[in-house]
Amino acid sequence: MTTKTGRAIFARLMLPVMLLALFAVVSACATQAASPGPQDLEAEAQGIDQSLMCPICPSETIDQSQTEIAEQMRRTVRERLAQGESRDEVLDFFVERYGEGILAAPPKSGFNLLAWLVPPIALLIGGSALALVVRSMRQEHRRSAAAPLPGAAGLEQYLAAVDQDIRGLTADDGGERGKDQQPNG
Amino acid sequence: MADLGYICLLIALALSVYSPVASLAGVRMGSRQLVLSARRAILLAPAALGVSTAGLVGAFVNADFSVSYVAEHSSRAMAPQYIWVAFYAGNEGSLLFIAFALSVLAAIAVRFAPDALRPSMPHIGSVLMLVLLFFLAVMVFLANPFARLEIVPPDGRGINPLLTHPGMFVHPPMLMTGLISFAVPFSIAMGSLLAGRTGDEWVDAGRTWGIISWALLGIGLLLGGWWAYTILGWGGYWAWDPVENAGFMPWLVITAFIHSIMVQKRRGMFRMWNLALVIIAFGFAQFGMFINRGGPVPSVHSFGQSTLGWIFLAFMGGTMLVSFAVFFWRYNSLKSAQTLESALSREAAFLVNNLLFLATAFVTLWGVVYPLISELFQGEIVTVGQPFYNQVNGPIFLLLILLMGVAPFVPWRHAGWASLRRALVMPAAAAAVAIGVLLLIGVYIPWALISYGLCAFVTAGILREWARGAHARHRRGESYPIAFGRLIAANRPRYGGYVVHLAVVLLALGVTGSSFYGIQRDIALSPGESADIGEYTVKYIGASARAFPDRTEATAEVQAFRGDTFLGTYYPRRDFYPSFNIASTLAAIRSTPLEDLYIIPGELLPDERTILRVYVNPLVMWMWVAGPLLVVGVTVALWPQRERSGAYAFSPGGLVAATGRRPEASAG
Repeated sequence: MTTKTGRAIFARLMLPVMLLALFAVVSACATQAASPGPQDLEAEAQGIDQSLMCPICPSETIDQSQTEIAEQMRRTVRERLAQGESRDEVLDFFVERYGEGILAAPPKSGFNLLAWLVPPIALLIGGSALALVVRSMRQEHRRSAAAPLPGAAGLEQYLAAVDQDIRGLTADDGGERGKDQQPNG
Repeated sequence: MADLGYICLLIALALSVYSPVASLAGVRMGSRQLVLSARRAILLAPAALGVSTAGLVGAFVNADFSVSYVAEHSSRAMAPQYIWVAFYAGNEGSLLFIAFALSVLAAIAVRFAPDALRPSMPHIGSVLMLVLLFFLAVMVFLANPFARLEIVPPDGRGINPLLTHPGMFVHPPMLMTGLISFAVPFSIAMGSLLAGRTGDEWVDAGRTWGIISWALLGIGLLLGGWWAYTILGWGGYWAWDPVENAGFMPWLVITAFIHSIMVQKRRGMFRMWNLALVIIAFGFAQFGMFINRGGPVPSVHSFGQSTLGWIFLAFMGGTMLVSFAVFFWRYNSLKSAQTLESALSREAAFLVNNLLFLATAFVTLWGVVYPLISELFQGEIVTVGQPFYNQVNGPIFLLLILLMGVAPFVPWRHAGWASLRRALVMPAAAAAVAIGVLLLIGVYIPWALISYGLCAFVTAGILREWARGAHARHRRGESYPIAFGRLIAANRPRYGGYVVHLAVVLLALGVTGSSFYGIQRDIALSPGESADIGEYTVKYIGASARAFPDRTEATAEVQAFRGDTFLGTYYPRRDFYPSFNIASTLAAIRSTPLEDLYIIPGELLPDERTILRVYVNPLVMWMWVAGPLLVVGVTVALWPQRERSGAYAFSPGGLVAATGRRPEASAG
């Protein structure tokens, strides 16, 4: 790994290896989604527990709460799942009884879609604003780069000295940087 | 005792009025004497508030139930060590604590201010004291901790049982100190702005105090998680509860700040941005205090509920209004020639960091206020809880970890793709290997794989950097330990930052492990019966109950096995407080680096059976290791450094900055 050719080979192999790893992940995940057993039913039930709030305790899901009503609701969840109801059907049952506030997160439909859409939109706007700022700052730089810096000559000398020192300290770094600095290299 | 405390409170109030008036008058009239006396008032305030604090604590010690606050929050049956906790268990006491903490921080900030800040010190001190004035005025006029009862009750009501836990000795004070400490970087920035010092004079002190606030609040939050994990008895450490979020948001903004301030420190850029960030961070800290004092959202942390919340909201609104007015008043002198050489540079990377941290803060804020919006516009009360934050903030966190692995290796000014790729090949390989190994041992959940891959990526990058730096010094003849020590000493902000990044990786390990691979079971057992959970077998031996004046303690005896190996006997406890109708549980936790076995006892059923809730939580221990590591990193980053002594030598970014070369540009 210390030799340059070793590194180059390593670098070249990186992409295929990572792609292969990614493929392995995806296929492994795909095979995971198999038929449901009793174990999966309990996992499903716990997933539902975590999506339902306890109606009498502030900010606790029925999964967390140890009140009687939470326990009762947990039992109801399991009974309904055992009867073959789907996750959504179980959740709907509780929404009908207690209103939408019983859900730990707003449903992704109707007005409540707003809750889910605003964050990515905000991120998008923020990202675009950032891109614009970076662009204008770069343009500023190009404009000012044309003008020479005041006192640039003295600075240049100083920087050359620093450069020299650093090359002495980190010999392998120096080599790499040297390569970068070759014109058209 | 209580009277003396009240008198000192009034003295502190007088000082906090006098100091800003005297220092601003002194500046206007050119009177050094006045400015100096204003400064002394700041240094004196902690003494007055210290006596005040002692007065209230003393009233608790003497069980002086004629003081309403003491009667509300303690009782004769309370264990004496909880007097300290009872002191800040309610609104009035915690306001006194906050005021005291602020006065101490203010005195330290004023006393040890660097020379660069001297011209703006009168203004900085004034802003600090005005913030203090708010708290003191609220106490004196609205929430007096020393208020007397006309009829003295024979015994107090007692302390909220959820607060009787070792974690409560440090978590709330740390969190309160953390939140109020935001006033210091804010005051430094605002004071400099008011004084017309709009350049970079405030940057070093602002950064130092920003990091101190960041660490105080961060540790406060971590301790809160630890407390929730060990006492609240639901096997978790963070619930995205409004009050938790209220503490989390300012922390996110200050995290953005302590990164972007480095750009101003090194390159003199982002002047306005850094000021805006520090103002917003203080705004969020005030918002946090508002939610804490009885905001409009329900929370599990409803300890100090009152109507004071709205006054805090007004305080926040007023501060933000004035701050941004000052900001725009000085707007023209804040403009700096902000030029960016390349979109691939450390400066730009810090901007992306800021974007992501602010996005998380915004998402969190949105989640907190959305129920109000929903109620207003569709008349329906909805809950925004964990599933929302996990799904929206989770991916942003992963992006942040990715950035944490890349950005430190992007040089200032301008980076080349080739050199960046070289720096990242090894970390990427480490990530691939980690993912491969995880797949082999049966970790298939994509989010978990991505998260662990990124953790490996960041860790490998940092270790590579350390190894290379130490190796380069070693070749000059230093032994490896010395080389490593000097490497770190040479650029403390950078290497302290790396240590903190490693702590964040540890947090990510724990969060990912417990979120995706935690197992949970509720099992009803008669004495002598056992049940399996994961690889463990749990055997319930029996329970015993003890009655105390204020509570009954039911202790279960549970044996744990893995296969046939006996792991130990555990005694999870459930305390019931009849006067509060609250049960608190003390989980029994068998913590190992790989996973925690976590047992919570339920109620004893009439037929001798009990319901045990058992969790297996992978990797959680690392989250508590992260705390001390974080402190180490912050200490390194803040350790005073001689100006620029070889600071550039081993940072690839610094190299390019120092030499002023643009490797790739010349190649193009």
